Amino acid sequence: MNLSTQVKHLVKKELLLEWRSKYALNGVLLYVVSTVFVCFLSFVSIEIITWNALFWIIMLFASINAVSKSFLQESKGRHLYIYTIASPIALIISKTVYNVLLMLVLTIIALSFHMVVFGRVPQDLPMYLLATLLGSLSFSTIFTMISAIASKAGNGGMLMAILGFPVIIPVLVVLIKLTKNAIDGLDRSVSWDEVGMLLVINVLVMAVSLLLFPYLWRD
Amino acid sequence: MYKNWWKILGALLVIYSTIAGFLSDVPMLPILHESIRNLYFHVPMWFGMIVLFSVSVYHSIKFLSNSNPEHDLKAVESVNVGVVYGILGIVTGAIWAKFTWGQAWSFDVKQNFAAIALLLYFAYLVLRNAIDEEQKRAKISAIYNIFAFPMMVVLLFVLPRLSDSLHPGNGGNPGFNSYDLDSRMRAIFYPACLGWILVGYWIYTILYRVRSLEKNNNI
Amino acid sequence: MKKISVTFLMLMLTLQLFAQNGDSSLTESVYATGKIYVVVACIVLILFGLLFFLFTIEKRLKKLEEKSSAKN
Repeated sequence: MNLSTQVKHLVKKELLLEWRSKYALNGVLLYVVSTVFVCFLSFVSIEIITWNALFWIIMLFASINAVSKSFLQESKGRHLYIYTIASPIALIISKTVYNVLLMLVLTIIALSFHMVVFGRVPQDLPMYLLATLLGSLSFSTIFTMISAIASKAGNGGMLMAILGFPVIIPVLVVLIKLTKNAIDGLDRSVSWDEVGMLLVINVLVMAVSLLLFPYLWRD
Repeated sequence: MYKNWWKILGALLVIYSTIAGFLSDVPMLPILHESIRNLYFHVPMWFGMIVLFSVSVYHSIKFLSNSNPEHDLKAVESVNVGVVYGILGIVTGAIWAKFTWGQAWSFDVKQNFAAIALLLYFAYLVLRNAIDEEQKRAKISAIYNIFAFPMMVVLLFVLPRLSDSLHPGNGGNPGFNSYDLDSRMRAIFYPACLGWILVGYWIYTILYRVRSLEKNNNI
Repeated sequence: MKKISVTFLMLMLTLQLFAQNGDSSLTESVYATGKIYVVVACIVLILFGLLFFLFTIEKRLKKLEEKSSAKN
């Protein structure tokens, strides 16, 4: 089997597993919805900057919860089985693709819910949407690799947070700047720098993950 | 590594830069005054840190390609020295900032990002402590090290250029080249950097030798 | 009366001038040290840090020595 068919099968397998249990999606959705609701109950009315900060905090933890499942959840036996039938590059690509899909769905639901509950809409909505989509993309690429490292290291959740946060903070800094531009409705030419930056970070992270994952996967 | 000439060179350069740093003429600038001489002591710490982290990544890559445990020891010890340099850089920076910008921590981008870069390497050290099995620890931490390095480069070199900073050469501020780093200061600044880098490398070789002795004695 | 008040006013004006002068000379005297102590503090700190680091290295070496002497 060549790489693309392997990736296709693995993504299909992930989606099928997710569709059967709906565990990750429902769990994280519940998390997002309840957090937004709690925030609404405690803040009631809110500055738009705080609104933005809240959104990114919620997304950050939601994405850690959602993506960390991809490697930590699976048993050793299943890892071994996949190891024998698929190439590691196909595996990391499929996991990343699946996580990107999951995060995109999650982000869109979370953003619409967040906007509806607080009744606030950023001035430049398409730009804000682009920023959140780029954000979910980079969250999933980075956290997929980090969760692979954490799952190989043995003890899951705690290590995932420790390893993940310093790597994700630069991305968050760029994202917050970008979304703030979108909220203030600044001219779009101001924001292309940040968009480019995010794309470069994503490409960089993907390239490094593709290079490194085979070493990680081989025991 | 066991030759001595570069250690003597490093020591001489550091001594030269310290003496010349105190006695030479410096351009008088409005807020900095004499504290501009800190350039010869604060900035070389960062250069040393970056060089040591690069050495560490080089050895991590080496380790992944031939899995010789020697390279793992080299990688971790150069990170150790790099972290010490980084802490010294951040504390001297805080003192300097206290007397020129008015606050020890003025939430300048470069300060924040330097702190995050340090956090990245603390995470690396935590990861090492979390894994007991030696070969596995070496492999996983090498992978994390290589994964984190591009992020640190983005953090320290790319992102500060996009935003405003109190440091020279970022945002709207002119770089050193344009006004205060005249040729006299250059003649001290570059030797200072080289000297401190060599001294850092020296400390790293000593640490590496101690560590490899420890390892041999345990077996 | 008017004259006196005018002179008084003039005096006040000059007083303000003096005050400003004094103020700036005060700040000048604070800066006269040229913040050289900042540099000194930084160097002392670097030395302190490196020396402390040296001690930790020595501690490791000492453990090593004890071990190797116990072996022999």
